[in-house]
Amino acid sequence: MSIPQPLTPIPPLNMDVRFVNVTKAFGSSVVVDRLELAVEDGEFVVLLGPSGCGKTTSLRMLAGLEDVTAGDIFIGGERVNDVPAQKRDVAMVFQSYALYPHMTVAENISYPLRVRRMQREEMKSRVLRVAEMLEITALLERRPRELSGGERQRVALARAVVRSPRVYLMDEPLSNLDAKLRVQMRGELKRLQHELGTTTVYVTHDQAEAMTLAHRVAVMRKGRLQQFDTPMNIYNLPANRFVAEFVGNPGMNFIEGAVDTAGRRFVSGDFSLALSDSHLERLRRHTRATLGIRPEHIEVSTGARNGWLRASVYVTELMGNETFVFLQLGAEKIIVRAPAAFRAEPETPASVRFETSRLDFFDADSGEALR
Amino acid sequence: MGTERTLPFLLLAPTMLVLLALSIYPLVYAVRVSLQTGASARWSLDNFTRLFSDAFFQSALLHTLVYALMALTCELLLGLGLALLLNHEMRARSLFRAALLVPMMLPPVVVGVVWRLALNPNFGAVNGTLKSLGVNTESLTWTASPRLAFLSVVAVDVWQWTPFVFLILLAGLQAIPQEPYEAARMDGSSAWQTFRFITLPLLKPAILIVLLLRTMDLLRVFDQIFILTEGGPGFATETVSLYIYRAAFRFGNFGYAAAMSFVLLVITNAISLVYIRLLQKQESR
Amino acid sequence: MKAQLIGRLLRYALVIAAVMAAVLPVYWMMTISLKTEIDQFSVPPKWLVFTPTLAHYRDAFSTRSFGQYLLTSIVVSVLATLSAMVLGTLAAYALSHFRLPGRLDKHFALWILSTRMFPPIVTIVPLFLMMRDLRLLNTRLSLIIVYTAFNLPFVVWMMRGFFSEIPRELEEAARVDGDSRLGALRRVVLPLVAPGLAATAVFCLIISWNEFLFALVLTQTDAAMTLPVGIAGRVTQYEIKWGVMSAAATVAMMPILVFALAVQRYLVRGLSLGAVKG
Repeated sequence: MSIPQPLTPIPPLNMDVRFVNVTKAFGSSVVVDRLELAVEDGEFVVLLGPSGCGKTTSLRMLAGLEDVTAGDIFIGGERVNDVPAQKRDVAMVFQSYALYPHMTVAENISYPLRVRRMQREEMKSRVLRVAEMLEITALLERRPRELSGGERQRVALARAVVRSPRVYLMDEPLSNLDAKLRVQMRGELKRLQHELGTTTVYVTHDQAEAMTLAHRVAVMRKGRLQQFDTPMNIYNLPANRFVAEFVGNPGMNFIEGAVDTAGRRFVSGDFSLALSDSHLERLRRHTRATLGIRPEHIEVSTGARNGWLRASVYVTELMGNETFVFLQLGAEKIIVRAPAAFRAEPETPASVRFETSRLDFFDADSGEALR
Repeated sequence: MGTERTLPFLLLAPTMLVLLALSIYPLVYAVRVSLQTGASARWSLDNFTRLFSDAFFQSALLHTLVYALMALTCELLLGLGLALLLNHEMRARSLFRAALLVPMMLPPVVVGVVWRLALNPNFGAVNGTLKSLGVNTESLTWTASPRLAFLSVVAVDVWQWTPFVFLILLAGLQAIPQEPYEAARMDGSSAWQTFRFITLPLLKPAILIVLLLRTMDLLRVFDQIFILTEGGPGFATETVSLYIYRAAFRFGNFGYAAAMSFVLLVITNAISLVYIRLLQKQESR
Repeated sequence: MKAQLIGRLLRYALVIAAVMAAVLPVYWMMTISLKTEIDQFSVPPKWLVFTPTLAHYRDAFSTRSFGQYLLTSIVVSVLATLSAMVLGTLAAYALSHFRLPGRLDKHFALWILSTRMFPPIVTIVPLFLMMRDLRLLNTRLSLIIVYTAFNLPFVVWMMRGFFSEIPRELEEAARVDGDSRLGALRRVVLPLVAPGLAATAVFCLIISWNEFLFALVLTQTDAAMTLPVGIAGRVTQYEIKWGVMSAAATVAMMPILVFALAVQRYLVRGLSLGAVKG
């Protein structure tokens, strides 16, 4: 994808987006609960969470497709609660693309310009420029049903990009593509946003999209914002057990157990792990906690090794470039990422070593990270 | 978002007004007419109490109910049979389907004309055909004899509306997925068992809808009978709708006609409600 | 194998018998409209071989008033259909694409449907009296008004069904793209429900064209009566002109058969008010 030049000069205004104490309720069920979120001008923010977490509703409130129950939404400093969707000057890419089936690709792309009564010539040249940019010039006279999934995706993007809106909103735009195409479009999307520099709010349940695309990720759960931070921090310093569990593939291992402060150990049944000073500092005033460790921070080896924990192989899954080893560790089942060469039959005795500097601890009840 | 709130009401308003003026207001108006007897505009229930002693009304009501029951039974059985017959792969199926639907689409007046011609005792197609088959048709005067006339109007209803039952049930049959049938075959069920335990239960919602719509139509039947027999000979085929028409527009007794129409409305609604309850029970499952 | 073959033959035989029963009486009437009086009364009946004549058609539509009735039927059906379509489509759009407070949309929809459920004979007396008071008896306008009201609930229900099949997102996309509600309706939603609009309109035409009771009660003069009433008037006369009557009935039936063929795909839906999706 080549980008000749920005379609219009960078807008002079500061197009930041702010959710201030925003709540959305349908009847008695609260879907978004007191959301506070400040997206900076030109920033790419991803709302990440499982289905039903309120991310799509938040996006739709920003688009003007849902009323706000309480709180305020600002775009570029303007309160938009009462501004109807068509006057907000935001562009949205829908999960289903929402291409107008009765219009050609060119008509689809020019629709936002047509309803703004733009001059014919100007409209034509804009459509052509955007089509070139997204490499769909050859498709302009086709209808949506004659296009492949990836092509539809590009047309939907073109329709959003053609009019330099204040903000781009994207609702799981890649989820209907097959795996390979998704990775490719992900890259193109990132590049596109980089070139255009327009504030973008992007909704997904796919952590890989969130990690690769976002400047910052907002993780949501049951209508509440869990953590809003850079992808690095989301991954390395999760705010709570939910974030730690949701981000990372395969997910983080959790072991619930007791803190033996005197013996400087973390104990769960047969499982027992020595704790360092910094661990104990984080665990002070806690007698119970959940230990978390990512699969790549555990080393595994067949047979017994001195000073390592005893485990037994449950099953292994060769992924090609690496192997996921499922182990029985006392009463717990854990997953370890091992080199592709690692081979073991089920029930093989094994040993594991935790990288103790990478341990996370969470409050046993609230799930908050202990730091 | 002011327009967002008011726009739907603006869009609905004309429809609501028209329906208020032409469906709801007439109903209220009819209540008034039915409760005011004579020129004195005195309020009374006379029009309703009179129903209990009016032999014409009682026989019209009986005719209506018997007519509905007979026609409904025949239409359901024939329609279901036809639907099952055509629910197989067969040559020219869509042509057959289209041809079978002809009677249902005809204007009721045309149905009346068609059958007045066909049932004419002297030169009609029915007797003509029977005669050429060697049947003695002298006593088969159809719409001219009371008993035969009643059967004739029922038969004409069956002729016209079996296609409707057939059409809806065929759609219902075609909406049943293949898997249950395949599973039943694997389980070794016979054709009858498959019909009894798979087809019939899955078709039940469609059957209920058909029964509901047909019952409502049968209880209000007017057009074909009016054209075929005008309720005659004598009053042998007079249904409630025909009697209401006669009372209002032959004798100018609007109050009494309105009272009768309320009784018809109540009966129709009561029966419809039973079906709707059954349907809801079906759907909540 | 043999049993299977017999079963198949039996099935064809039954279906063909049913088709004959459905079609032959109608065909018989059409032959009467084309037969000379001598052929009409011949025994055994002449099904195929007779000398066709158009005399009855000429008689009906030029010397008698059937031409006038036909015109009235066309005017009334078309105008009643148009007005019901415009009003009903807007209402259906409001009921399907807006969320009204307190599930009012659902209540309205059911209320509208219920007005369709009463037997027409219930409203015929008050409507007759109302039209008499308004001095609208024996006018085409009275029938147009009544048929509009009669068709409205039907249009609302059918179109509500068609609208609800259009993905909400298309309309939302149009609004985010900067179009107003009504602009989105005109430019995006209506073009997509065009087949549904056409089918619904054809159904309205059929219903209005076939309607008999209201026309019978509200119009009694040659200038205002519709084709069904005109035909019925001849049927109940003392001396029946069979050829003229059959000719008029054949003409009354033809557009309906053509229309019905045109909406075959939507027939199930239309006849069950959307309760069964064919």
